[in-house]
Amino acid sequence: MIEIKNVTKDFPGNNKAIDSLNLTIPDGKIVGFLGPNGAGKSTTIKMMTGILPLDSGSITLNGFDIEKNALEAKRIFGYVPDQPDMFLRLKGIEYLNFIGDIFEVPKEIRAERIETLTKQFNIYDALDDYIQTFSHGMRQKIIVTGVLIHDPDIWILDEPLTGLDPKSSYMLKEMMRDHAAKGNTVFFSSHGLEVVEQLCDEVAIINKGRLIFYGNIDELRDEYHTDQSLEKVFLELTDDA
Amino acid sequence: MHKTWVLIKTMLKMQYSKAGGNSSQIWLLAIVIIFSIPLLALYIGILQNLISELYNVLQPLGQDSIIPGLLFLSIHMLLFLISLITVISAFYFAEDIESFIPFPLKAYQLLLGKAASPFLYLYLTSGAFFLPAFFIYGMVSDASLIFYFYGIILFILLPIIPFTVASILLMIVMRFVNIAKNKDRSKVLAGIFSLAFIIFINVVIRLNTNSNEMMADLAKFIQEKDGLLQMATSFYPPALFSTRALNETASSEGFLFFLLMIGLSLGAFFLFIWLGELFYLKGVLGLGSGNKRKISQKKMKKQITARPVWLAYIQKEIRIILRTPTFLMQCVIQSLFGPIFILILLMLDTANLSGFMNLFSEKHSILMLFIATLLILGGNATSISSISREGKSWHANLFLPLATKQIFYSKILTAWLINLLSIILILIIFIWLLHVPGEMIIIWLILALVANWFTSSLGTYLDFLKPKLNWTDEQEIFKARMIAFIALLLEAGIFGIIVLILWNIGVLEGLYTTSFILFLCLMAAIFTVQLLLNKKIKANEHQHI
Repeated sequence: MIEIKNVTKDFPGNNKAIDSLNLTIPDGKIVGFLGPNGAGKSTTIKMMTGILPLDSGSITLNGFDIEKNALEAKRIFGYVPDQPDMFLRLKGIEYLNFIGDIFEVPKEIRAERIETLTKQFNIYDALDDYIQTFSHGMRQKIIVTGVLIHDPDIWILDEPLTGLDPKSSYMLKEMMRDHAAKGNTVFFSSHGLEVVEQLCDEVAIINKGRLIFYGNIDELRDEYHTDQSLEKVFLELTDDA
Repeated sequence: MHKTWVLIKTMLKMQYSKAGGNSSQIWLLAIVIIFSIPLLALYIGILQNLISELYNVLQPLGQDSIIPGLLFLSIHMLLFLISLITVISAFYFAEDIESFIPFPLKAYQLLLGKAASPFLYLYLTSGAFFLPAFFIYGMVSDASLIFYFYGIILFILLPIIPFTVASILLMIVMRFVNIAKNKDRSKVLAGIFSLAFIIFINVVIRLNTNSNEMMADLAKFIQEKDGLLQMATSFYPPALFSTRALNETASSEGFLFFLLMIGLSLGAFFLFIWLGELFYLKGVLGLGSGNKRKISQKKMKKQITARPVWLAYIQKEIRIILRTPTFLMQCVIQSLFGPIFILILLMLDTANLSGFMNLFSEKHSILMLFIATLLILGGNATSISSISREGKSWHANLFLPLATKQIFYSKILTAWLINLLSIILILIIFIWLLHVPGEMIIIWLILALVANWFTSSLGTYLDFLKPKLNWTDEQEIFKARMIAFIALLLEAGIFGIIVLILWNIGVLEGLYTTSFILFLCLMAAIFTVQLLLNKKIKANEHQHI
């Protein structure tokens, strides 16, 4: 479970990038995080993962405060950033091994998971190449694999499906469902509304740093008395007018 | 022409932009300037003395032309060396070229754009070395106005020939390197090879100069006017032409040499453009792409090993440094230059220098060895790029379960390990060439290892104060940042003063007492830096960069 309580974040020149945000992401559910560009999605995710400090409020992951118990909190989530361009000078296998070392995954488990996952994602044969030579989608896959080898309780994914081919995209979605079905937390941001519609149990919509809706899609339609597509609802909701 | 100009401006902006920068650079600049004034005065003073002394001796012999002759010769050599390093970095290691290739631009336009940044460096260098000596020589020799006019034009032409020679050499080498499979590795090898080549040439020239023969030649050449100049510049016409132009400003012959020099530079420039059209794109296209190979099950099993976190982290750091051509050049190869340079000097003159250590007391010897080592260690770019090297990967340090202190100490340890290479090299020089006594070597080694920790942590701390993470090309970390200079200034400044005081205190004698005081000072310095570093970590400043 992720609990975001009264979180505020200011950037110089941008008043209240996040404005007293309250959000609880329960176990066993896939929660989609929506909002127009610049709404504060990435800022929220960066605060959840310890990349950005909070100005006020608190965020806890399975009870561990990301600021006060940073290491404990970081051990239980896996994060896929929106830009997979990391550690480009390492080989695929070296990157996975590095992540395995940091999360102290035992050698045998590590070997088995690396083999299964990379074969599923169809990047096994490329493991001995530098990540720099990978395409965007392959980089995305290696980062997702890195998250999965330490089998975290909470998944935080920033635009995880961007750049994935249909097969890998389908696989990742299945994995997300399985993970949530086991009682774990999956939180992901996306611009693809149809993905959100078919995959998410609940959605959180944010605009200008404020949460404007939280609930499931039916509730969203009920609240706005419409049977329009999610796209229309989203456009109306986040419209400035 | 307009397009070329736009390209040059854009490329320079990318390299020197202060995007994400801040105003505190200004006070840093002020400090640098204040520190530099006495050094500058000293530099000009020494130069003035040297040139006027030389002039007074040589002028009655009719050999004063050797002064500008040697000046041109050495500046050209220096500019050639600098060109090699900056050209290979700018033309081939900088991967930003890929973003320009899709535009409808000719190879020579790209080349001119790319050449802008190396040229700035060359002008800075020749401005610092050529201009003061040139003006002093002009004043000492009571030169005419034309002398200054010619001189300024020649100054503008100065970098063209050395730059052209260096870049043509490299373009041809890289044309063939690009055929190789592992591009990164061959790029680095080409870089190392070019540098080794220069050192080799240097050694060959030095070894071939027989001092007896040279004295006989000298006696012969000194008989005729400008004989020395002829002798020194006979193998390198541009230096001869420039000197003749300056020295014979009154005659039409001087004017001819002046025109000749302009023609030569123009010719070199067009040769550069022509050969660039032929070779450049062939050498650079596809240079950034790698090779692919399948991994075998067995190899894969072998690769998976469990290591403690700190070891995994340091291994990652070192891998990235060794595999990124720019990092390898800046952090490893260049830092070996200092010791290698000393090595060459010593190899040529071992007989005189092995007794060198006997000239000084033990106290003075250890002080000299210490300060020289500190300068070499402080010049290393690994620590001052500790955080900046991460670039966009920096965020991973924040969301992965890594203790912040562990990240920083692993980075300091990485810089320390890289610096060990220099220390080992110096150690070899001390033992085999300088014949430093064993007792002193052990004491020096302890001091060097501790000093290494000091420079590594100070560099890392300074980089933490003002890291450059939003680079698009690794070159930007090392350019337009004064951090390397500030680190060296602080290290050399603080310990320079300490060494100076210890040197002059008569009461303090003996190897052990002096070394012990140095050791205590180092410990105090390390303690201070750690304290500052921990304070920033505690304030969670690493999340704000």
